Amino acid sequence: MVSARVIRNLKKEFRNSALAKIGLLLVVGILFTAAFAPFIAPHDPTEQQLDQSELPPLGFSETTERTTSQMVDGEIQTVTETVEITPDAAHPLGTDSLGRDMLSRIVYGARTSLVVGVLGTLLAAFVGVPVGLFAGYHRGNVDDLLMRIADVSLAFPSLVLAVALIGLWGRAAVNVPDPFVVAGFASDMPESFVLPITVVIVVGLVNWVWFARVARGEALSLRGQEYVKASRALGADDTSIIWNHVLPNAITPIIVLATVQVAAIILLESSLSFLGFSGTTLSWGFDIAQGRDYISSGQWWIASLPGLAIMFSVIGINLLGDWLRDSLDPGIEGEGGAA
Amino acid sequence: MSFGRFVLKRSLQGLGVVWGVVTVVFALRFVTPGSAINAVAPLDASQETRRAIATELGLDQPLYVQYGQYIFDLLRGDMGFSYIRGQEVVGLVFARLPATVELALAASIVAIGLSIPLGVLSATRRNEPIDYGATLFSLGGISTPNFWLGIMLILIFAVEFDVFNTSGRGVDVGDVALSVIGSEPFVGTLLAWLAYITLPAIALGTYFMALITRLTRSGMLDELGKGYVQAARAKGLPDTLVRYKHALRNTLIPVITVLGLQLGTLIGGAVITEAVFSWPGLGTLVIDSINRRDWPVLQGSLIVIGTSFVLVNVLVDAVYAYLDPQVVND
Repeated sequence: MVSARVIRNLKKEFRNSALAKIGLLLVVGILFTAAFAPFIAPHDPTEQQLDQSELPPLGFSETTERTTSQMVDGEIQTVTETVEITPDAAHPLGTDSLGRDMLSRIVYGARTSLVVGVLGTLLAAFVGVPVGLFAGYHRGNVDDLLMRIADVSLAFPSLVLAVALIGLWGRAAVNVPDPFVVAGFASDMPESFVLPITVVIVVGLVNWVWFARVARGEALSLRGQEYVKASRALGADDTSIIWNHVLPNAITPIIVLATVQVAAIILLESSLSFLGFSGTTLSWGFDIAQGRDYISSGQWWIASLPGLAIMFSVIGINLLGDWLRDSLDPGIEGEGGAA
Repeated sequence: MSFGRFVLKRSLQGLGVVWGVVTVVFALRFVTPGSAINAVAPLDASQETRRAIATELGLDQPLYVQYGQYIFDLLRGDMGFSYIRGQEVVGLVFARLPATVELALAASIVAIGLSIPLGVLSATRRNEPIDYGATLFSLGGISTPNFWLGIMLILIFAVEFDVFNTSGRGVDVGDVALSVIGSEPFVGTLLAWLAYITLPAIALGTYFMALITRLTRSGMLDELGKGYVQAARAKGLPDTLVRYKHALRNTLIPVITVLGLQLGTLIGGAVITEAVFSWPGLGTLVIDSINRRDWPVLQGSLIVIGTSFVLVNVLVDAVYAYLDPQVVND
């Protein structure tokens, strides 16, 4: 339960921990970036400017060999010249192979990562928590069945199961209109945001079992508590006991798990996008896959920078998770989730 | 319950889970109706042709007959036939399995070998530079996507400094072992093996190294603060003995369980690491079979992956019970 004591612990832990401060700063920064992407991105992230392609980030210049064919005296001659490509202040983090602005792509990529991470976690929690609470509270056959389903589910690695399900179902994505652009506050930006809906459903279905396990464990230990027994003696029905007494007391580890899961699902989404299984092309993982083909020809930034964005987001969320765990319940083990 | 009975019980439970895995994989065929036929039939196939294919594949039989046939075939070691590749699935899957096991083992050995000492050092020298370094490293390690790490390793060690190979497998570990007794030069074979496996093993192992460092550090800190450690010290037992014999042993027990559960992450990680380094293992086979809609191969690979997971977890539980006999009685 969120009580005054919990708030006090959170504050105390926050004051004492530099890492918690960094974590909160990173997470707030990413949330802000994702929410206000149309105002932060300097360019439309999908706009291709082929004459501006492969520009390096500010502070780096790149020499490259350019081969051109010319007609000289009726013969085709190939001329190889070394040209130096200098950065352009209009593209502070450079551009990719199609001349799209890297900074804008990274800003918009935060939306995909966060939306999939949060929606996927919510879906997993909405499926897993009730099932786990119900099974742990009732024990018996329901519980046995749940644990066996959980065992089978865990036997498939998240990524493998996700890839298999998306392979079978296809890669569906829905266009969600961007409210800022539709209302006219931001011009020259994409009018809609592509939500890879299959990925959300699949990661939710793949990761529910972690929530079910934690919720079940909590329900198992809470069902013997005096106040639960008292409510039962007073004639309260099971659903209302689970809702009013078990869930509020089980919520702390579930919140800690949810934080870890957002991080795990962001990593999972980036892996799926990297493999081309996500259905959106505006994603950090997808850009890393694009940039991979250019690392041997000198354009290191196309693959490197989106990866740093993933790393700092996930570090931020993990630090936030550590802070919540340390201040809410020192007894919870950091079991992690599945990436 | 004796240790033997415990292992037997866990094995039977494991068998039950494998049965569940097989059932789920069998059911996958029905998630996309008709796909089994579409995978074989030409686009312009007539209804008669499609029906003939259905009969050939046994798809016109009642569901329970198909299911029974599927399990019966599996027990005989028959995972079906890949019409797209024109090969038996069993042969394909088991030809790829050793490469994945080799990569996963190499990654685990590096990860476990480095992380446990690092975690212990970090806990025993709390708030010293090595502790901060280990904490930062492990935070970064659990937060870095392994495919990106792989690409960065390629960028640094293969593009900038031409030290390692970036794609394929080269010689396998069996060749290295054979070279000790055979005619091939041992050092040369070993180096050839390392040239290929080093980068993928680091890319795959870093996450686990970071995770185990974190778990070992927090576990050691818990144990070192407990009464028995202080009592042992008060009795005058040497610090190293208390640390490594008592505290570390108790720390490792939960670490082993988490490792078993995280094996799925290791295999999942191997899939994508293989994709980055074109490592010819099960992972590249899975991705390839999805892209080519080669369902029998996907199903066979899933069964092998799920079964390996169960097998390793039964082994982990046995080790766990051996280390901590209390588990047997729970």
